[in-house]
Amino acid sequence: MAQIEQSDKGGKKKKGAQKKMQIHVDFTPMVDMNMLLITFFMLCTTMIKSQTLQIALPTNEEVKKEQMSQAKASEAITLILDTEYEGNKPKVDAETGKTVHHIYYYEGIADTLFQTANYLRHEQFIGNQNREPQGIRRILRKKNEEVMVQYDLLKTRWKNKEITKEEFDKLAKENAADSMKTRPVVVIKPGPNTTYEGLINALDEMQINQISRYSIELPNRVDTLLLRHYEQVNGVQIIRPTVR
Amino acid sequence: MGKVKIKRKSTLIDMTAMSDVTVLLLTFFMLTSTFLQKEPTIVYTPSSVSEEKVPTYDLVTVLVSSADKSGKLEDPSAAEGKLFISFTGGEDSTLSSEKVRIMMLQEAVSIYNDQHKNNPVELTTGEVAEFGKINMFGCPFSELKYMLGLSIADRDKFLGNMTDPRVGIPIDGNKNRDGRLNDFQVWLKAIYNVAQRINNEQCAGLTPEEARQVQNLYASLMRQGKGIAVKADKDTPFTVVEQVFDNLQTMKLNKFSLMTALKSEDEPTQ
Repeated sequence: MAQIEQSDKGGKKKKGAQKKMQIHVDFTPMVDMNMLLITFFMLCTTMIKSQTLQIALPTNEEVKKEQMSQAKASEAITLILDTEYEGNKPKVDAETGKTVHHIYYYEGIADTLFQTANYLRHEQFIGNQNREPQGIRRILRKKNEEVMVQYDLLKTRWKNKEITKEEFDKLAKENAADSMKTRPVVVIKPGPNTTYEGLINALDEMQINQISRYSIELPNRVDTLLLRHYEQVNGVQIIRPTVR
Repeated sequence: MGKVKIKRKSTLIDMTAMSDVTVLLLTFFMLTSTFLQKEPTIVYTPSSVSEEKVPTYDLVTVLVSSADKSGKLEDPSAAEGKLFISFTGGEDSTLSSEKVRIMMLQEAVSIYNDQHKNNPVELTTGEVAEFGKINMFGCPFSELKYMLGLSIADRDKFLGNMTDPRVGIPIDGNKNRDGRLNDFQVWLKAIYNVAQRINNEQCAGLTPEEARQVQNLYASLMRQGKGIAVKADKDTPFTVVEQVFDNLQTMKLNKFSLMTALKSEDEPTQ
């Protein structure tokens, strides 16, 4: 391991002179051990911390009808969520490798007489394409245009370092809750086949579009009626048997 | 002809520099690492654009197991919807995870025994201390004594078996027709009570202004909804998660967080 070489190449040693010694310590085992420890730490650590999405739900306690706040019909938009299944597993799109979710939405009060055309429309979670919102995101953005215009302004100011992150967060929150602006009320209705991911996607859209008023409810008879009629008109099957 | 003499060179390589580098790397990993917490089952959380980090302290995590993905089970959904809870204490040692867990257990057992006078759960001090060491657990109160009596390896095996009916905290019967809380609700009530007690102790003698500055389990639970995090798999049906939400709402813990992974806004969701 450690070698001590004496450099005594010829010549007479002077009396009293110190012997010159070269010390070699072999560090190979030390490196080996360190590498093992590094491997151990690398495998046992979590570098990426998970994120959280905050959610506030109403209480389960009975609320009197008079106390309930009513949303204006013009502001309301209802999203019925659905996830496509293949066998007993959610269907995965071959191209993107992501689960296929569907959204059926209507604005205002459910039109059970089916008088207006397109009472129920179909959309998907597409996200952004070329930095432009697509799919349901575009619909929701249009509904919340007044808030989003201000939000984009704030975002540019923050990106230009005119305001700090804290200020931006505070102003964005005030902006999203500004009652002077026309803001939508979104009702999210996850159908029986919806996966947790579908719900998170919908909640995500709320955050992206700065929608402060939304609720999660279960679909009711009216929604089934709309979906059934949609099936008849479009000749497609959208109400699938409940997988689980 | 003169022979070409090959000079013999020593093959020793100086490893000192290499050693320096590895030690540096090692130090980096040791300082930045937070260890993976042992969880009975693996779930893949869905991704969201939310950038808020999961708090490392003062957190109650509710894990919802996913359907079996190994393909070994005939009915993969048999493993679905089992509930597990883990408690993380405060940053300093005055309210360490171990202490918080023991407080929670004692509170929960006393609530449970109050409701089930005929078959109460009685734990020895040894078993209570053992509970303080378990990161994540999930079993009915009736199986608590059995679980705490197992060795560490056996317990991991027991909790890891998702098809065992004795695994997972029971959540059925939310609307408590007979006035009894289910096991999950008992735990939630215990969490609420203990958190409130901790808060009262820490805020005793403080002005309301100062009390607002106190960061603890109760504060994060109630004020910001950061104290409870629900962790579920992206493919878990909403109906399963909804049941957990519904129980949380019934127990007036209607502000909470959902654990997600990060993604960017431009990423396609489908």
